[in-house]
Amino acid sequence: MYSYIIRRLAFGALTVVGVSIIVFAVLRILPGDPLVAIFGPEGFTKLSEAERARYMADLGLSDPLAVQYFRWVGDIARGNFGRSFFRAESVGEMILRRGPLTAEIAVLSVILSWLVGIPVAIVSALRPNSLGDNVSRFLSILFLAVPGFWLGMLIVLAALFMFGYRAPLAGPTLLSDPWGNLQVVIGPAVVLGLGQAAYIARMARSSLLEVIREDYVRTARAKGLSRRPVITFHALPNALLPVITLSGILLGFVLAGSIPVERAFGTPGLGYAMFTAVSERDVFVMQNLVFLYAVVFVLLNILVDLTIAWLDPRIRYQ
Amino acid sequence: MTATEPETVYPVEQIALTAESARLRPTGGGFRRFVRRSPMSAFWGLIAAAIIIMAVAAPVLAPYEPLKSDFRAMSKPPNERHYFGTDQIGRDVLSRVIYGSRASLTVALGAVLFGTTLGALWGLASGYFGGRFDIVSQRVIEFLQSFPDLILAMAIAMALGAGFGTVIVAIAITRIPFGGRVIRAVVMSLKELSYVEAARGLGASHLRIMARHILPQCVAPYLILATTHLGVAIIIEAALGFLGVGIPPPTPTWGNMLADSLNAGLVPPWWLVLFPGAAITITVLAFNLLGDGIRDMLDPRLRSAV
Repeated sequence: MYSYIIRRLAFGALTVVGVSIIVFAVLRILPGDPLVAIFGPEGFTKLSEAERARYMADLGLSDPLAVQYFRWVGDIARGNFGRSFFRAESVGEMILRRGPLTAEIAVLSVILSWLVGIPVAIVSALRPNSLGDNVSRFLSILFLAVPGFWLGMLIVLAALFMFGYRAPLAGPTLLSDPWGNLQVVIGPAVVLGLGQAAYIARMARSSLLEVIREDYVRTARAKGLSRRPVITFHALPNALLPVITLSGILLGFVLAGSIPVERAFGTPGLGYAMFTAVSERDVFVMQNLVFLYAVVFVLLNILVDLTIAWLDPRIRYQ
Repeated sequence: MTATEPETVYPVEQIALTAESARLRPTGGGFRRFVRRSPMSAFWGLIAAAIIIMAVAAPVLAPYEPLKSDFRAMSKPPNERHYFGTDQIGRDVLSRVIYGSRASLTVALGAVLFGTTLGALWGLASGYFGGRFDIVSQRVIEFLQSFPDLILAMAIAMALGAGFGTVIVAIAITRIPFGGRVIRAVVMSLKELSYVEAARGLGASHLRIMARHILPQCVAPYLILATTHLGVAIIIEAALGFLGVGIPPPTPTWGNMLADSLNAGLVPPWWLVLFPGAAITITVLAFNLLGDGIRDMLDPRLRSAV
């Protein structure tokens, strides 16, 4: 197990390095002048050549790329995430202030997706091609096609028209105002949770159908155990392993999906900050946030892999 | 929502296993067989075809100019002159939804053709040659897959500046790893087969073996992959438009229309929200179900997998 953990962590570290290079390459090297982003295309043309050079030097953008890269990585290692072009708050402070909200949404949506997806899958797999199975399969196919942010906008509108209700716009924290916090978080969590539940139900259904046909399940039935304990204690634990892996992959769906969904709900989380950064063409903020999201995604997937290895010795000893 | 498209991650092994059985047979009556085997997919295939026709014939079908404002009819709910209503500057929503299909389909087709094909060729090369090239390729693909795909697309679209081409490139790059992985797995299992060995023994060059003996076997998995990714590409394009890094505003796209609706006052009028989103959903649903049908037909053994 330990050697597996060490191997997985080493690969993870390599991936983080690779990811940092890609982020840097995309946002710093690709064409597109950060000065245009700061001053706007019109302001940019008004700057003289000398002024442009001075601003570039001030921002540290005229150094060689390797120097820029290592300075950026060094800053992040020291916990300095830089500043926005347009805001007083540093990016680090912003992450600490807004991050928890997005994290809450993510956790809640994963819980919801399991609560919805797994029971649906069990019902589906136990009676394949029944009415319930067909309805749930249709719904999961439908939810794969519905853009979450659109569903979010519809929910906001429906709540407003039917109940005259609008979620509070300021971001009360979980500790200071749990009720207000829940109202802010629940909408995005439901939308993202349903989106994931569609994948989870599909995956769990096919994996359960496979496991049910295994010999050991037949043995358990043959020795006289009734259907229910066989499903819950024999079949389900094995069927859920691929679902856990899928859930890890789906975290990417949550992290990315929370950006448009938070915009649709007007949730003041990190996803909304990402939207603001992108619409202001704020390169430095974007660079750090994209890197943060990718690293979080990598770490969570390492966690998922280790969980799987802990649950399933076959993987550990490969 | 914008998905990491996990269900295409899983069948990978199965595609590889069944690569032999997944052979394209261009026989006559294929269409009739398709309809009989999966009427649901055939129905949604018709809808997909209708959407493509709608995009091509947009100037004929649209009742108004998509960019023309009618200041006597601003923010009007659906009525007999404007079936889908008008937006805050008096543009006809129905016409804009019809024209929006152009942007969506062009971007999705372009991104999938470009990205999946590039990924597939990469996977072909790395699977065939193996060795150090393969190891490095695998790592790079892993790095690319460490980004949630919408986030990578956002970053690239932002860095390149808004525009039609940049959106296609941004989405295409997020599709590369999928093509690479699936086709690599197929090629790995193929190159050990005896007929490939025989070709090598007869002195065929690497290029010839790849083009004549391995490539044809990759067509079925490639088609399955491409159709499943069309839907994802459409959703990413809409999300980019919604976040303001898609195709720039005057062009009607479904994502832009949804973003616009948020600027139409404190509460967006429902018809500005409902119709573009429904268009996205129906289009994605049509292409996904068509893809499912194509997968079932080309590779029956995958049927139980998803």
